[in-house]
Amino acid sequence: MSVAKSKRLFAIIAMLVMLAMVVTACGGNDGAENGGDNPGGDLVEVKIGVSSPFTGDVAALGTGIRNGAQLAIEEAAPELEEMGISLSMLAVDDAADPKTGVNAANQMVSDSAVVGIVAHLNSGVSIPASAVYNEAGVVQVSPASTNPALTLQGFENVFRVCTIDTVQGSFAAEYAYDELGFTSVAVIDDSTPYGEGLAAEFAAAFEAKGGEITSTDKIQVKDLDFTALVTKIRSANPDLIYFGGMYTEAALVSKQSKEAGFEGPVMGGDGLYTQQYIDIAGAANAEGDFATSIGLPLSEQPKGQEFQDMFEATFPGQTIEAYDTYAYDATMVVVEAIKAVAADLGADAVTSVAGKQAIIEAVAVTDMQGVTGNVSFDENGDTTNKAVTPYVVRDGAWVPYTD
Amino acid sequence: MSVELGIIAQQFVNGLTLGGMYALLALGYTLVYGILLMINFAHAEMFMFGAYVGLFTLQGLSRIEFFTSSGPALLLLYLLTFLIAMVATGILGVIIERFAYRPLRHAPRLAPLISAIGVSLFLQNAALLWISSRSLPFPVLFEVRTFRIGGASISSMQILIITVTILLMLVLDTFISRTRLGKSMRATSQDRETAGLMGIDINRVIALTFFIGPALGGAAGIFSGMYYGNIKYNMGFIPGIKAFTAAVVGGIGNLRGAMLGGFLIGLLESLAAAYISTGYKDVIAFVILIIVLIFKPGGLLGESVAEKV
Repeated sequence: MSVAKSKRLFAIIAMLVMLAMVVTACGGNDGAENGGDNPGGDLVEVKIGVSSPFTGDVAALGTGIRNGAQLAIEEAAPELEEMGISLSMLAVDDAADPKTGVNAANQMVSDSAVVGIVAHLNSGVSIPASAVYNEAGVVQVSPASTNPALTLQGFENVFRVCTIDTVQGSFAAEYAYDELGFTSVAVIDDSTPYGEGLAAEFAAAFEAKGGEITSTDKIQVKDLDFTALVTKIRSANPDLIYFGGMYTEAALVSKQSKEAGFEGPVMGGDGLYTQQYIDIAGAANAEGDFATSIGLPLSEQPKGQEFQDMFEATFPGQTIEAYDTYAYDATMVVVEAIKAVAADLGADAVTSVAGKQAIIEAVAVTDMQGVTGNVSFDENGDTTNKAVTPYVVRDGAWVPYTD
Repeated sequence: MSVELGIIAQQFVNGLTLGGMYALLALGYTLVYGILLMINFAHAEMFMFGAYVGLFTLQGLSRIEFFTSSGPALLLLYLLTFLIAMVATGILGVIIERFAYRPLRHAPRLAPLISAIGVSLFLQNAALLWISSRSLPFPVLFEVRTFRIGGASISSMQILIITVTILLMLVLDTFISRTRLGKSMRATSQDRETAGLMGIDINRVIALTFFIGPALGGAAGIFSGMYYGNIKYNMGFIPGIKAFTAAVVGGIGNLRGAMLGGFLIGLLESLAAAYISTGYKDVIAFVILIIVLIFKPGGLLGESVAEKV
């Protein structure tokens, strides 16, 4: 009896303690938020939402996007402060997953201070999330989603600073056929919008050139074992394997095809262009593999050196990933639009519905000199800067390919 | 040997390598089911845990120069890696049984099942948070050679995996059928209460089962790391499902059935990918397995025992 009583008492006390903690936690938050709004008096709080995978396999590329955006925001903040705006970043993980990405999108647009979104690495995440941004009337500038469908949905608020797969896939096909002299290819894609789109563009352009497609296969993301597939491919003996997808699966295809006795290289898009590809495949297996990546190598970008100095000062010890400069430019596009609207309608109007609409209109007519070159958009919202660079693995690292 | 035949032979080797890993993992499901009539859903995480312990042991020991200095020393390094990882995974299995399953031994059968799912989620998320959310490269410290026989290319890694897998199975089979401890395991499996009355320490036998199964699963995890070159916190999930299916198809509770089932699923998957469609390989493999179960509900080597009323 007494044991049961004391147990019940304990449970009640525990619940009260937890309740007290919840209440005080809420109170504390409210206090902090109120404090944030008031001091300084007149600064209008404005945020740029940044979402990409910060966890999971492609986290290297995703955190790179966040780094690039952070650099741009830190650089722009002092100037905006003079205009009466306190600019900050709201970064949310999308885990490279469409469901998580849509949740992240909803979370960002539900904050009325968010006036622009720099988001999503994967096309498969960007496409469903773009509907959320469109509904909310907030501009989205993607630094890295390359599937053509993203900007063909008729959304006036969706833009991207990277080249699309149509350009990348056909560039890769022409390069493989004309410059590298490959005449037959086995095509594999990973059944995602990005991989499928890229592989289809490549195959169509390669056939149009007169090349032979020996096989086309689909694999699933997260599969590990491609030995049966590469053994089959080897028996048809094409010059090249083209892989539409990300490095996690591509690296395994490279490793397993070389170990199964396939002698040609593996080629793919920007999803392969990261050191992790070489680490997983093994340097010996990856040697001679190709990847095309959107834009120019950092050393050839107009403000590449400047960006590198800035990056190394802020993130010592980290390396610049494929999309960092694109994320920086995408963020700057939004920043410029905020400045234009603040100058036009006043700082207070930036976070209003009309202000957000004005930002979309300002982004559409962007004409800016960015790190990656001149940034402007066509009528779909795609960048007019269509540079693609081929890379090759030499001595365990990606280097720009030159014959 | 003609090129065509060579390719078929190579697909068989691909399938056997994959199947060997499934079979090692399937043994853990079948051992536990045989003794406790419970499905240990946390077993897939033993695959992951073994791979991580293997990776860290390999990384730690390879810093000592002696181990990478010569061929025999390298062999010793790998033997130690397997030994440490298998023992560590085995101990984890025993701990899980002690704290997550033993308190529920007399509870309704659904309770330990839910507990197992909880353990599985806990271990996966622990690896995600404490180690990394990304794939970690698994280094291979020896040169992988590829042998060409006719049209077939078979790598030394595949030969190694298949050989060691079969060796481990032979050891287990001998242990169960020839030793005293093995005999007590078989007795416990047949009738737990009577075995207890005959003087067998049931708790020790169950703990032993929860050591052997995870140890073999851990070894399969290291093989997966070595073969595919990377490991990840959720790497156990898909092999876990396939190994569980392998155990069921072979006749759950039957050791040789689990081995047969594992190899069968590996082969079916490889041949389906090679000759029908890569995208549908799992669908095809599982459809065939469903058909097998329709005609032999007890599994290939399972005895159809009537439920005691």
